Amino acid sequence: MKPIEIDRRKKPIVKINKSLDFFNDKPLFPEKLEKANNMLRRIGLPKSKATNKQ
Amino acid sequence: MNLDRYELQSGVELEVFEFVSEGPKGRIPKIVQYFPTNYKNLYHLGFGDKNQVTGEVDDTIVSNNNNSEKVLATVIATLYAFMDKHRHAEVYAAGSTDSRTRLYRIGISKYLDEALEDFEIFGELDDGWEPFRSDGEYKGFLVSRSEL
Repeated sequence: MKPIEIDRRKKPIVKINKSLDFFNDKPLFPEKLEKANNMLRRIGLPKSKATNKQ
Repeated sequence: MNLDRYELQSGVELEVFEFVSEGPKGRIPKIVQYFPTNYKNLYHLGFGDKNQVTGEVDDTIVSNNNNSEKVLATVIATLYAFMDKHRHAEVYAAGSTDSRTRLYRIGISKYLDEALEDFEIFGELDDGWEPFRSDGEYKGFLVSRSEL
């Protein structure tokens, strides 16, 4: 199984601003991230999904 | 998605996006971040206002800038850009409040037919998931690319 290609017309034009990569490893929404991780630990993923826990 | 939306900026990795909401309350910088969860390839979508003075981000502010549809369309556009670069990623999103999560659900419902051409969408229940329904009451959403 491989992901379908996204229609090129649906992809937005994005102007690259390299300064934003500074935030890539810094969670800007830590409380919500923690809440999401807790939820995932509690109920897991949809049954049809095969994502594995790290 | 052929919807009116704001111009986007992003880092090279397409994990952090910025745009400026414009409306009666002025120009409000917004930031969208896709950050890895504890699950491989599963990212959390965070979205909020960026304080222009302090640089701090707040996802609880209600801007009331009379442009929620355009803002939502712009956030959905970031999802297309992110998922196109991160081909095997899945994304979890929930509003900062129940009413905001409901707003997301209404927004997804509005564009559901088009979204389902590209994505699988699940709604989060108290104790599990179900395929997204427009009339479902959800606590959050999980989105992944449809597969061949």
